[in-house]
Amino acid sequence: MTGKPRRVAITGLGLVTPLGNDVAATWDALLAGHSGVAPITHFDASGFPVRIAAEVKEFDPRHAIEDRKLLKYANRSHVLALAAAEEALRDAGIRPEVSDATRWACVVGTGKTGLGFGELGEVHRHCAPDGHFRPDRLLTDAFAMDPLAFCRSQTSAGLALLLQRFGIRGYATAVHTACASGSQAVGTAMKLIRRGTADYVLAGGFDSMIDPIGLASFCLLGALSTDNETPERASRPFDATRNGFVLGEGAGLLVLEPWDAARRRGARIYAELAGDGNSLSSYRITDSHPSGDGPIQAMRQALTTAGVRPEEVDYLNAHGTSTLMNDRSECAAVRAVFGSHAGQIGVSSTKSLMGHLIAGAGAVEAAVCALAIHHGVQPVNANLAAPDPECDLDFVRGQPRVRRIRAALSNSFGFGGSNSCLALRNPDEVEG
Amino acid sequence: MSARVVVAGSGAICAAGRTPGEIWDAVCTGRPAIRPIEQWDASGWPTSLAGEIPGLDPRALVEDRKLHKLLQRSDLLGLYVAGRALDESGFVAYREALDPPAAAAVNDRTGVYVGQGGSGYQNDYEFFPLLTIANGDLGTFGRELAATVNPMWLLRSMPNNVVCHIGIRHGLKGPNACVTNHSVSGSLAVAEAAAALRAGEADRALAVGHDAPIEPQVVLYYHQLGLLSADGLWPFDARRSGSLLGEGAAALLLETESAAAERHARVFGEFLGSGCTTEAEGLLAIRADGDGLAGAIALALEDAELRPAEVGMVVAHGSSTRQSDASEAAAIHRVFGATAPPVTAFKWAFGHPLAASGILDSVLAMVALRHGMVPGVATLRELDPDLGNLPVSKLPQAPRSDVALVLNRGFGGSNTALVLRAAASEAR
Repeated sequence: MTGKPRRVAITGLGLVTPLGNDVAATWDALLAGHSGVAPITHFDASGFPVRIAAEVKEFDPRHAIEDRKLLKYANRSHVLALAAAEEALRDAGIRPEVSDATRWACVVGTGKTGLGFGELGEVHRHCAPDGHFRPDRLLTDAFAMDPLAFCRSQTSAGLALLLQRFGIRGYATAVHTACASGSQAVGTAMKLIRRGTADYVLAGGFDSMIDPIGLASFCLLGALSTDNETPERASRPFDATRNGFVLGEGAGLLVLEPWDAARRRGARIYAELAGDGNSLSSYRITDSHPSGDGPIQAMRQALTTAGVRPEEVDYLNAHGTSTLMNDRSECAAVRAVFGSHAGQIGVSSTKSLMGHLIAGAGAVEAAVCALAIHHGVQPVNANLAAPDPECDLDFVRGQPRVRRIRAALSNSFGFGGSNSCLALRNPDEVEG
Repeated sequence: MSARVVVAGSGAICAAGRTPGEIWDAVCTGRPAIRPIEQWDASGWPTSLAGEIPGLDPRALVEDRKLHKLLQRSDLLGLYVAGRALDESGFVAYREALDPPAAAAVNDRTGVYVGQGGSGYQNDYEFFPLLTIANGDLGTFGRELAATVNPMWLLRSMPNNVVCHIGIRHGLKGPNACVTNHSVSGSLAVAEAAAALRAGEADRALAVGHDAPIEPQVVLYYHQLGLLSADGLWPFDARRSGSLLGEGAAALLLETESAAAERHARVFGEFLGSGCTTEAEGLLAIRADGDGLAGAIALALEDAELRPAEVGMVVAHGSSTRQSDASEAAAIHRVFGATAPPVTAFKWAFGHPLAASGILDSVLAMVALRHGMVPGVATLRELDPDLGNLPVSKLPQAPRSDVALVLNRGFGGSNTALVLRAAASEAR
């Protein structure tokens, strides 16, 4: 490619989150400060140390996707993704046609997939009733012969369903860097358009770990809040009393396209997806360095690639998991990057209301930033009664802050040390 | 003008050897490293063969024993080849000679791009003792959890472990990705690493692909889907009956031309271009006309600014299933017409290592170009007459230029093509 890189517009959003099953319901709940955290209903969690989560509620897959055959190939997170993608494409008012299908790409951050809990139970009953696995038993296990179970368990299954359903035939990939997955996917999508690999990208992330194995895996690490009696207050990023994150589930999909093409067709542009920062902490598996090293590089790159000056940033959607190490490292990074301007940036972690959507989080939060710019409103960081003195940023507390946003950043930091920061810009700033 | 991307180090492991040179020698001898599966007794199984790495000792791959508890078999392979590629490149010695701020800047500008195949099923079996204790009661399951399951279970299960531990072990801190797109994951890791260098996001990037799919439940599913042969891999042969799983990993250290020159690196070859498409017809479907693959090749050649006639050899995906080989031949005919360059494939030698296959084939393609030899497909007896006049041979052929086209396909109708060139001379 020669000349200036293409400018990328966000023109479609689709969300299925613990706060609502579409963009409007999610945004309304965010502004109203309604929490999506409640006692777990997906299964009997009574014996677990953690019995709360942020579940997607009253979601009927058959309502969202009329193709019953397709649903047989889908696990819960895939269905959430299909529904969010449908909304995003409808919202953008554009979808792949036979004539341009190869110019459409799809990049998704997907959860750690495998067998569902019920499916694992089937294999256990047949092949390991005493706890000891006997491979030969698989040969007579009807379940282990079921190709549909295999398809649902593949890491690329959700991607394949999106491609098939919407007829996308260009560049397609699935990525997983834990909690940074969704954000890295959106960043990669931006780069595909910039380098001319694609003209349109359906990009985002989806995850659903609220089953006995998923919940167990985080309980074992002691990463979750145990505030079972006060679920709506359990996720309180940056609060001095925070004690872990709340597991959520959901999907966020965005439609990206070249700015000029979007303008030509008269599309509504929520924001410019202007920059992407991507770094590796290389410190510990689950933590960034207390100095903010790692996240600092990601935020700086996002600003640089966006051509945004630090003092133009009015809103930061923090990773803000509500764990001590993450919250402090992130705040140190914000101070290092923004210096004296750090106090001028409205900061909130929307995980305070919708929990942590793991591989879906970064994409959903990028969509929240696009909505914040579009509406000129910064959603709250809920449950922040007494901020940790080590976290001295200008958090949006109590009420959403109505204020024009010139540029916004969205942070996502994953287990494994991958850090992703996206920079979004107000369309009015782009076109003056 | 975007930067040229060169290759300054490589590593590989699979059933046929533990270095690119060893694997190359095994390919040239023509003896497949396909053997009875050893990880469990598969003697009575409908498929009992695979390309397993014999006598795999974790300590021989990754010396830090504390790490073994945090890694799966596939992760060990990925970390091993990453270390080999860095060793071969001389990168570590270069960095050690820098003062600390300069070394830190180099680390921030060195990326890590990994493709992997998913964590399989066996890791989840660690919940079996707990499921037995719970006996269907989730309350008991929750209460007995902490006493029964390894607290580090999730960390070992993470798909992005190789990204994480390459970072921690080697100090690399630049842009990164973990591609989880079945068999094209490794080639997409190469494509994304090269794109990051071209765009100036990094000066160097390690690309890795790793997979270890040979476990009971995976073998059985692939068998059920009709993808596996009972006796061997014969790509493009009239009697081919399916693929066989392999395991392995490969790595390439990519650098911008100026970053390699800066440290006087030995340059092995050059990345010229990539293309990626999908056929969008479902997880398992493959179009008979090879449309997606032909599209990926066209994109890769366009990216490399080369005409089909300039391609010196093709490393086909050659998985040996009826459908994939036939549609692959169709795609090659469509792009090259009657004048296709010599075509070969490597999976007959070590099985199909899924997510590792595209990058492993890339490493071997560059060895082939360096030797000026396209190895034969040793198991080929009779070229399938339905595949047209495909220039694939049992015997070695001569490449017609120093450029290789490496084809790679995966579930979801994914197709990738990479274009690579061997360095004119080993020292620049």
